[in-house]
Parts: sequence; C-alpha cells; structure tokens
Amino acid sequence: MRRRLSLIIVLLFALNLTCHSLSQAQTEEPAQAVKLKPAFGFEYFSRTIKWDDDKYTSKLQSYFFTFNMEFEIQEGFSLGVLLGYSLANNEGMIFRQLPFSVELGDKSIGGYLLGGEIKKSLISQENYEIGLFGQFVYSLGVKNTWDIPGLAVEGTVEGNPSWMRVSVGPVISYQGFDFFSPYLFLNFNRLWGNFKMEETIESLTGSEDKKFTGDGLFCVAVGSIFELAESFELNGEVSLIPRKNGADLGFMFKASYSF
Amino acid sequence: MKKRKLSFIFFIILIFSFSWSFQDFRTHRERELQKPESKERTTHIKLYNQGQPFRYQGPLYAPDQILVKFKPSISEQKIQATIAAYKSKKLRRIPRVNIYQVGIPEGVEVMEMVYVMSQNPDIEYVEPNYIAHITVTPNDPFFKYQYALYNSGQDVGVPGSPQGKNRADIKATGAWEETKGDEEVIIAVLDTGVDLLHPDLAEKIHNSGRDFVNDDFDATDDHSHGTFVAGIAAAETNNQKGIAGVAWNCKILPLKVMDVEGEGLYSWIIDAIVWAADNGAHVINLSLGGEIGIQALEEAVRYAYMKDIVIVAAAGNDGDPVLYPAAYDDYCLAVAATDNRDIRPSWSNFGPEVDVAAPGVGIASTVPTWYWDPGALPYGAGGDGTSFATPHVAGLAALIKSIKPWLEPDDIMDIIRYSADDTNSSQHPGKDELIGHGRLNMEKALVPIKIESSK
Repeated sequence: MRRRLSLIIVLLFALNLTCHSLSQAQTEEPAQAVKLKPAFGFEYFSRTIKWDDDKYTSKLQSYFFTFNMEFEIQEGFSLGVLLGYSLANNEGMIFRQLPFSVELGDKSIGGYLLGGEIKKSLISQENYEIGLFGQFVYSLGVKNTWDIPGLAVEGTVEGNPSWMRVSVGPVISYQGFDFFSPYLFLNFNRLWGNFKMEETIESLTGSEDKKFTGDGLFCVAVGSIFELAESFELNGEVSLIPRKNGADLGFMFKASYSF
Repeated sequence: MKKRKLSFIFFIILIFSFSWSFQDFRTHRERELQKPESKERTTHIKLYNQGQPFRYQGPLYAPDQILVKFKPSISEQKIQATIAAYKSKKLRRIPRVNIYQVGIPEGVEVMEMVYVMSQNPDIEYVEPNYIAHITVTPNDPFFKYQYALYNSGQDVGVPGSPQGKNRADIKATGAWEETKGDEEVIIAVLDTGVDLLHPDLAEKIHNSGRDFVNDDFDATDDHSHGTFVAGIAAAETNNQKGIAGVAWNCKILPLKVMDVEGEGLYSWIIDAIVWAADNGAHVINLSLGGEIGIQALEEAVRYAYMKDIVIVAAAGNDGDPVLYPAAYDDYCLAVAATDNRDIRPSWSNFGPEVDVAAPGVGIASTVPTWYWDPGALPYGAGGDGTSFATPHVAGLAALIKSIKPWLEPDDIMDIIRYSADDTNSSQHPGKDELIGHGRLNMEKALVPIKIESSK
C-alpha cells in the first residue's frame, strides 16, 4: 500500500513538472522546432522477484534491444518513446497451482517492448546540472509452449510473461569535461508483472496466473554520456538495486544521433 | 537442515536396530525350525496362508438377505408394505443412497427372491448382498527395510526374497521434500478396523471411527489386515518408532467393514463408503473387493466420488479380472502390485480398469499390538497383495489433496496415473492391463517438474 502511494506521488510529481514546463514553454519563450534524437539501445538487468505472497523468490533476467525516439520539445525538456524486443528468463519460478507443478528452466522467452521517457533539466549551476528522469517499460512476452517431461502421457504447459518497470528520480550530472558527462541517477524503481500458465495433459487441465514484484524499490545508477561527434553520443550506465541480503545489477548502453 | 540431518541419522539408527533385531530373530527362527517339536507356536513367526497371497473361497453372497432400491417416488409406507408382502423383513436402510437391506424368509433362495422382486414396478433394482473379502494377509513378522518407499536394492528381510533393484520404489523420500501432508486431510480405511492404540498409529487416528460389522463406534481391529493397511498409508513418521507412512501428517479414519475372518457384506461396505463421505473423509482406501459388481455398491462409490472423495481400491490377488469396487473405472483408482524389482507378481489381478501399480510384495507395516507374542514389536514384514499396494496410492492421494485442496477427484486420479513410471514398457509400452500406467512415482506427482524444452 505504502509502495503504491509513493509510486503515485512520484508520478504525480513528474506529471506536475511536465505540465509546468510545457506551460512555461508556451508562455515565456517563442516557439521553437522540436529536435529529434533517435537512438538504439541495449539493456540487461537481473532482478530478484518475489511471488506467491512474497514467500518465494527467483530471478528475472532480461536483455532488451530498443529503438528510442526522443523529442526535445524545448531546451532541457524532452519526451521519448521506445519500442523493442526483449528476452526474459524467469528460471526458478514455480507454478504450484497447476495440477502438475512445474518449474521454469533457463530458457529465455521473447517479447515485445513498449515504453516512454521524460527528461527535464531543473537546476543548472556552473558545471553541475540537476534534472529529473522518468521511464516506464512494458514487456509483453510471446506465448511459449513447453513439454512436460517424464509423464506417462504427453503433456504441455503454455504461457507468456509480461512485466512493467517504472523508474523515476533525480539525475545529477557533471558537465565540466569536454567530451563526456558523468552522472548519478538515484531513482525509485518498481517492477511488477505476471506470468500466466496453462497446463494440458489429456483431459487434465489447469491454469495459474502468477503475479510477481521486483525486490527492492530504489536504484543507484552511475553512467556517462560520451559526445563522439556534434550530433552523435554514446551513453553507458551501470545500476544497482540494493535489497535484503544483496543487490541486483544491470547495465545499459545506448547510441543516439540528434538532428 | 540440522533437523533433516538429525532425522536421517535417526532413520539409519532405526533401520540398523530393526536389522539387528531381525537378524537375531531369523537366527532364532532357524534354530527353532530345526527342532521339529517346537515348530508349532514357539516363535514369533506367523506364516499366513503358506506365504501365498490370500484367495477367498467362501460363499459369494449372504444366504438370507438382499439389497433393494425402490424408485424415488415410492413412499416409506408403501416400501414397508411391499417388503412385508414378500414375507421379508427390513433390516436397515442405508441413508443417502436409500438402499434397503432386506432379510428374506427362511428356505427361500436369494436368486429366486431377486428374480421375483425385480418384477415389481416399484423397485428400481434388487441384488444379492455379496460378500467381499480382504485381498491379502501378511505372511512374515518383521521388516528390515521399507523398500517400497526407498529401494536401494537391499534385502527386504523376507527369507527367499530376490535381491531388489535400485530405485524400484515409489520415490517417497524426494516427494516428502515437497509435502508431508496436512493433518486436516483424512484417509478413511475401510477394512478390518485399525488398532487404535498402536504406538505408531494412535496419534494418527482421527477418531475411533465406526464398526459396521458390530454396529458400534469402535473400529478396533480384530484381524490385523486393517492395521497393516493403515500403517502403510499414514503411520506416524519421524517419531523414532517403527515404520514411515506415506502420508506423514494425514489422519486415519478407521471403518470396520470386514469381520474377524476378513470377510464383509457388501451392505457394510456400502454403508461405510456413504458414512465416510458424510464424515469428513478426503480419500477412501478399499484394500478389499468382491468378484461381483452390483448397482448398490456402484451407487455408493458414485456418491462418495460426487462428494469430492478420491477412492482407491485393490485390484485383487487371484490373477483374474479386477475386483469390485476397483472395477468401477469412472470412480475408483484400481491398484495392481509390483515387487522390489518392479515386476508384477502373477497373482495381481488385471484388466482395462487397472490404473496404476504400487509395491505389494514383501511389504513392511504395523500389526496390532496383540498380534505377536508379548514383547515383540508390533510390526510385520512380508505382506503380499494388492491390499498393501493400495494404501501407497491412498497416501499419495492424501498428499496431493494436502497441497492442492482445490483439485477434483478426477484431477488427483489423473495426476496419480500420469506420474506413474511405465516399468514394463519394454514388453507393454503405454497403459496396459497389468500395471495400468505404471508403478507409482510420488516425486513426479508432487515435486515441481523442470520444464526446459519448448515445442
């Protein structure tokens, strides 16, 4: 409940900032052309997820390839969309509501990715800049069928996972170097999803819709943007989500071109 | 982890102590057997039926009574009048299924009365009150190892038994990692009763049950068969005593439907099935059967099945077609027997109704405390028969019900069938009439199966 409330507060805050910036852009500054910034990205994360009323945990490992399109509406404020393809691996997740309980192996499941981003510069002083960055990513896995080995008759389970991740928080960057800007991104990071499975073994059928959530709510990410040419930049980032008894890791790499 | 290690050590100590006692016992027995004059009753060994599976040779049905089902529209008054018109007497009415146990006049043949009454348009059906019988009695007093639960290829402690095959067992130890059962889940054991004071069973008895033979509420065992069956299904486990039951934590509801000779009227069984269904049973174990199938028995079995109860019954030990009620394919799991090498003994009944097999040769379990001479441990080894294969399956059904209480009886029956190992696949691939889908595999039925390859 508390977590939901904090998520809503953060989202409202982000929305408020966006609206405020848009209204400022309309009233104070003359209209300017929207800058486009297409980018190709790759991201990997390994996240501990909890399921069955947080009784059990396993890992969600996901690789995804994205195409981002960022629209810089005004100086220091941009919105973006991202589309892509993901490979997710829910190894160790167990479905005990099915007639025959099954445990997922390490096979990755493909899925389609859709997301949105918001970026807003808030304070800029000397070489430091504080901004706000928010992102949501939704992955819809394609349906997969697995054989159930070792039974006296043939049986299969069919299912597809979906998950959504929201991250939002301040970005503190140093812009004192010529070609690269290191930054620190502290963010509220929430992941949740579900995995629906259907089992069919002759006349024996059952289904289970398993909800899961990511363990840990806050993420620390460090990264840097390298300006390789006037309009071409590379972005690398490593993230860490501390949780009880450990931490989860991830990294991201993005190449973008602006025109 | 510590607990598991401790339990393992206890288990090993237990096995060694039994082995030691049994060695002494065997040596003692051999010495005794060498003395012809002390052969009769000077040792603890009681070899039943010359070590062969028990085969019933008594009458098929009670000579003085029949079972009558009247049409639902017939009033109680008219029923009474009809029974009187045939100079018969209502002995009792089995509730829920509304079947009347009717005493017929002396000198009248049962089949003659069945024919005459079946012509009456008010009667739905009329059948003899058949006699069922237990399908086995144990033939050796002690056990060495319960190979049925975990088989390392050990000697089962029964003289003349063949060397066992490694892992020709029901994989109980692996399955117990997933569940040891829920104490709310009740296995009704319809048999000769259960020794309510047995040290390995007393804590597992749901209540003193019901005795349909003597018509009271004390289902104490006066034969031994029911105690043996109950021990296999759910003896108290990890208690440093005796044997392990398949369903560690599930409870036993003893219902006596077989008399001291191991025989029982179908009416007692029908009554007990209905009573079990109405009194909280989740699984019914029927290590008994009769050669004849009648509508009244089928109706009782259907009644229990409709009340979400899993019914497990012995196929029989005559090398003949499957007995009733096991042969009621839609409502019962029919269980055949295998040995410690996964081989089906020739006496295990066969037919298309056989669903699965479980170890039923050289089985170790509990016997009543009065069974042996004073001082002997109340356990026995060497039990042969589908009677002793059946409670392995009933135990598994109770474990499945414990962790998946939402499943219907059909689902549980299918899980048990489909998880079986097709141990005779080289001669009879797939489901066959000898061992059905195969020998029970508890681990596959309960432990999550890892899925790797996709279609």
